[in-house]
Amino acid sequence: MKKNWRSSALFAYALAILAFLYLPLLILTLYSFNNSRINAVWAGFTFDWYLALLHNRRVIEALTNSLVIATISTIISTVLGTMAALALNRYKFKYKAVINGLLYLPILIPEIVMGLSLLVLFSQASVPLGKSTLILAHITFCLSFVIITVNARLEGMHKDLEQAASDLYATPWQTFRYITLPLALPGIVAGALIAFTLSIDDFIISFFVAGPNSTTLPLYVYAMVKRGISPEINALSTVLMFTTISLIVIAQVLQPQHSTAKKKTE
Amino acid sequence: MMKKRIAVVLMGIFAIAILAMGCGSGAKTQPVKSEPQVLNLFSWADNFSPEVLAAFEKKYNCKINYDVFANNEELLAKIQAGGSQYDLIQPSDYMVSTMIKLNLLEKLDKNKIPNRNNIVKNLQSPAYDPTGDYSVIYTWGMTGIVYNKKYVKETPTSWADLWNPAYKGRVILLNDNREVFGMALKKHGFSNNSIDKDQLDTAFADLKKLAPSVLAYDTDTIKQKFIAEEGWIGTMWSGDASFTYKDNKNIGFIIPKEGTVIWADTFAIPKGAKHKDLAEKFINFMYEPKISAQNYEYIGYNDPNEKAQAFHSKEFLSDPMLKVAVDDVKQGEWLKDIGSGLTLYDRYWTELKTIK
Repeated sequence: MKKNWRSSALFAYALAILAFLYLPLLILTLYSFNNSRINAVWAGFTFDWYLALLHNRRVIEALTNSLVIATISTIISTVLGTMAALALNRYKFKYKAVINGLLYLPILIPEIVMGLSLLVLFSQASVPLGKSTLILAHITFCLSFVIITVNARLEGMHKDLEQAASDLYATPWQTFRYITLPLALPGIVAGALIAFTLSIDDFIISFFVAGPNSTTLPLYVYAMVKRGISPEINALSTVLMFTTISLIVIAQVLQPQHSTAKKKTE
Repeated sequence: MMKKRIAVVLMGIFAIAILAMGCGSGAKTQPVKSEPQVLNLFSWADNFSPEVLAAFEKKYNCKINYDVFANNEELLAKIQAGGSQYDLIQPSDYMVSTMIKLNLLEKLDKNKIPNRNNIVKNLQSPAYDPTGDYSVIYTWGMTGIVYNKKYVKETPTSWADLWNPAYKGRVILLNDNREVFGMALKKHGFSNNSIDKDQLDTAFADLKKLAPSVLAYDTDTIKQKFIAEEGWIGTMWSGDASFTYKDNKNIGFIIPKEGTVIWADTFAIPKGAKHKDLAEKFINFMYEPKISAQNYEYIGYNDPNEKAQAFHSKEFLSDPMLKVAVDDVKQGEWLKDIGSGLTLYDRYWTELKTIK
């Protein structure tokens, strides 16, 4: 009896926590379908705000900027990050622990410090602010996340398959191409998806290093709020949120499935 | 099975990547080809009628890159850091004088902007840029008392009406240091740029008495609060009052007899702008009577263009909120950069906001 009471209390507590996390997002989404300009009153259901977004050239430009920047920085940071993770995982060299630590540091450094320091760097080197500086900045902070994700995957991999490949006279390239890369692929894809998500979401660092013709979606949303919170912003935030959520779901789906596949190969 | 799935995902990413690279490089090479035809505009979000921008692009065969900032300090930081990246910026009044002092603005070629003569005379050379060499006014407005006629039966005339105990818990003030203290200073007949400690102490003591009646200090969602009738009386900008009135016809707006803050957003050209000529064409274009009528109808602020009145709709011209600001424009005093005087404002402001 007592146990029953306890577990239902625990269940209620868990529900409360979930509500705390998701209620604001739900309300935001709900009001993006509100047929009134005011957030305070519900006046019926409409898709108008989403249609309005489609016809707003500035929104489309911001979206294109976000996608272009996210795609390019994802590709570059994934390639660089995977190579770094392989090197860190495979080779022993002097100061390896220090380098490891330095690579993880950007995750811990407050974003605002990173944004500011990048801005100072770019203006000192008189690099004109714009899409290119945004891409460089995004690569910088995505890199660490890719390295961590890929490294975690490599750590979980056994060396025996690669050794077996060498035993069977596979060249180092063949071993990499047919054994290492396919095994590490889920980690790499997950890393790439995390990088893409981070890049699409980033506000603080982008805020510092954006220049002409490089307003991203989060920057646009922020500037719009100054004009008053309209359902258009709700709709835009909802789109942004669901893009992010679906990317994370894809990354999650890719991870566990491979661990079963790995068991089979073992 | 799994490999195939990963392969599909990778192929997808690759395809997107190649497409994006194509777009990216396309976007990069384009401005090089048509370098003189780009206008890098740095402004507030949603500050122009999209049709008007499109009309300018068509007329001068150019592309407008419209980037946005959310406050003046952000604009200043970007201009100081990024150098000559933008061709046209929109600082507010006090920021214009700050930027002139910091030598961040180009002198405008007045011959290339003949339409500036269309602007109402007393807005052509405002206090923040007395010679009008560096800026042209774009949107302007005044801070006044907004009230809901349903709850506030007697039409307010003075800032003192905010202190009426009947409105306890229903007063909303702008979430802005200078606006709130400027209001209290004006109430006592002082300048809203005062840095005199005694005058500020008087204002502060008075604001402390008002604090328990204040529902919120709010700038971003103040309109919603008045539309939903959470707030009965408070301080608001004339442009916002006009917006609020459209959704709630009980809203009234007055400029108090003691005077108030007048503010403006302007056009200015940062030092070293690469397309200064096009930027000046843009400013001139915005003051063609027909264009400015179309533009201000869209953004819903007072049109400073005298010659545009003939092209405005009756609805726009008879908007009571906008009319109030025009009628009482002489009551306004521009906020000036008060330098280190701001420290005292900041201290009192922090203290004020902790009172409940």
